[in-house]
Amino acid sequence: MLKNKLAVLAGAAAAISLLAGCGGDAEAGGGGPKLALDAALPTTVPDGVKIVVGDPATQKALELSGQIDKVSKFVQFANLSGGPQTTEAFRAKALDLGSVAEIPSIHATWTGLKVKNVAAKYRQDALNHPVYQLGIAPGVQVKTLEDLRGKKIAYSPGQAQGALILKVLQKAGLTKEDVKLVELPSTGDVYPTALAAKQVEVAPIGGVAIKRYLTKYGKDGGTTIQHGIRDDAGHLYTQTSSLEDSGKAAAIRAYVAAWAVAQVWIDTHPKEWIEGYYVKDQGLTAADGQWLVDNAGHPDISADWSEGIKRQQETIDLLAKETKNDPIKAEDLFDLRFQTVATDAIKAAAK
Amino acid sequence: MSGSAATLSGVRAERKQVATTRPVRRRLGPGKPIRFGALIGPVLLLVIWSIGSAAGWLDPRILSAPWTVVTTTGELIADGRLQSNLLTSTQRAFLGLGLGILLGTVLALLSGLSRIGEAVLDGPIQIKRAIPSLALLPLLILWLGIGETMKVTTITLGVFVPIYIHTHNGLRTIDSRYVELAQTVGLSRWTFIRKVVLPGALPGFLLGLRFAVTGAWLSLVVVEQINSTSGIGYMMELARTYGQTDIIIVGLVLYGVLGLLSDGAVRLIQRKALSWRRTLAD
Repeated sequence: MLKNKLAVLAGAAAAISLLAGCGGDAEAGGGGPKLALDAALPTTVPDGVKIVVGDPATQKALELSGQIDKVSKFVQFANLSGGPQTTEAFRAKALDLGSVAEIPSIHATWTGLKVKNVAAKYRQDALNHPVYQLGIAPGVQVKTLEDLRGKKIAYSPGQAQGALILKVLQKAGLTKEDVKLVELPSTGDVYPTALAAKQVEVAPIGGVAIKRYLTKYGKDGGTTIQHGIRDDAGHLYTQTSSLEDSGKAAAIRAYVAAWAVAQVWIDTHPKEWIEGYYVKDQGLTAADGQWLVDNAGHPDISADWSEGIKRQQETIDLLAKETKNDPIKAEDLFDLRFQTVATDAIKAAAK
Repeated sequence: MSGSAATLSGVRAERKQVATTRPVRRRLGPGKPIRFGALIGPVLLLVIWSIGSAAGWLDPRILSAPWTVVTTTGELIADGRLQSNLLTSTQRAFLGLGLGILLGTVLALLSGLSRIGEAVLDGPIQIKRAIPSLALLPLLILWLGIGETMKVTTITLGVFVPIYIHTHNGLRTIDSRYVELAQTVGLSRWTFIRKVVLPGALPGFLLGLRFAVTGAWLSLVVVEQINSTSGIGYMMELARTYGQTDIIIVGLVLYGVLGLLSDGAVRLIQRKALSWRRTLAD
């Protein structure tokens, strides 16, 4: 009988250890002492330091341009992108740095996660190179932003697309009560599909989805319109706890430098980028890749973040009001010690 | 009573009639197995799909035609994308399946052979059975991170439940005559498990395995959406991001084929392992 009980206990223990035993396998090792958030950034990455970075496109650019060796010693890449996924990985302590747009750092802060933007990238001539366009369902008449009154609009709070819709309404002089917001998270092809199935009448769609939507449903009367609002902000953001580790802070600094050079390489090597990334890695056609490159225009990486911070403050104020959150200072979301890291690296690489 | 007597006499009368008109006795079972019978249903489905696409009843934007799926599959194979993704997925599925089979069998034995085991284990496992793996995923990410451990654990959790349920059930429905016999001839506990329990629970285990093998493939589509750079689930999710419906359908067809093959493999094992059984299936 005792043997029996022991067997049961052993079995239960095995089950529990299998369930919980091997936790946090992606947690990378830090190094070095604690660093104050206003201390000067260390410039050399100590041996053994590892950061986990979710920035698959830059990873590919570093590989294609032969620069990957500059970071491979201290960077472990994770194939994560987008706000919800990277924030979830921050919480699981499985990620140090993520590549996202404007909204995730704001929402992470509102949900009690301490994060900082450490790099900022915009688009030149941003109004003519928007990330998103407003997709209009077949048979629905929307030619200007004012026509949005009374329409069913896909709305994803917490994602860039959600904030964009709030900005669009503000620009059109409408309130949330003038339209019908349909809460729908934008993942995969949810928005184009919802438009095609006429579940919503208007939805912000981006990237190659615009091209595909028009090709597939244009003949049924599906259209898109421009919203005329800047939606081009792209940030690298990190958990404050990673910045407080001097080893990781040095690694993040080095990564931002490599990231900047990689963005310039993408801009100056469109052929290699289309072939190596869009076609080989992402499985798109060369024509799709060309379309994406043409529509993205050229990157704008500046050593002065004040304009970007001002725009982000406007976003925060609007979001805070519409989502009933406390206003926060945009400046607090940026680690200004990193302001010149990217441009210095670009200058040094050009020599 | 009179009703059943009437049916009984009816059957007798029919049997008599059959006997007089045909020399072969009429079978009450499903009859002789049809050669390649298992393929008829899937092929019929394929035919309906082809006709629907060719006739234009199916909008290619909603469901690609079978020949589009074939050409897309050809392109994916030429790229090498399909094979490498399939390989990664297969490794994940088999690892999760192996661990799940082990865990499910051990837990079923512990819970099936002792009352304490049942009291401790059966409840939590029933609770797990009621919780969808998809809903558990956010917690698994918090506990295990975003690497392979999380992925394999999710598959294992999906696999062990059917193995447990069916093995446990098979074990508990062993005829008590065999248990009494084992006691009478004085079998040791270990010999009893080896000679009576395991063979007796085998039909249940194998049924559980049929659910488990397909379950292992199904979990992939969920786990491979998180921090993956390979796998069928990743390939489909990437295609979803770019609206490439044909690639998604290639993935779905692949799932169907893999499921059918895996299930066929288990049924083959079933037939060999349970050859001592005489049932309606034979």
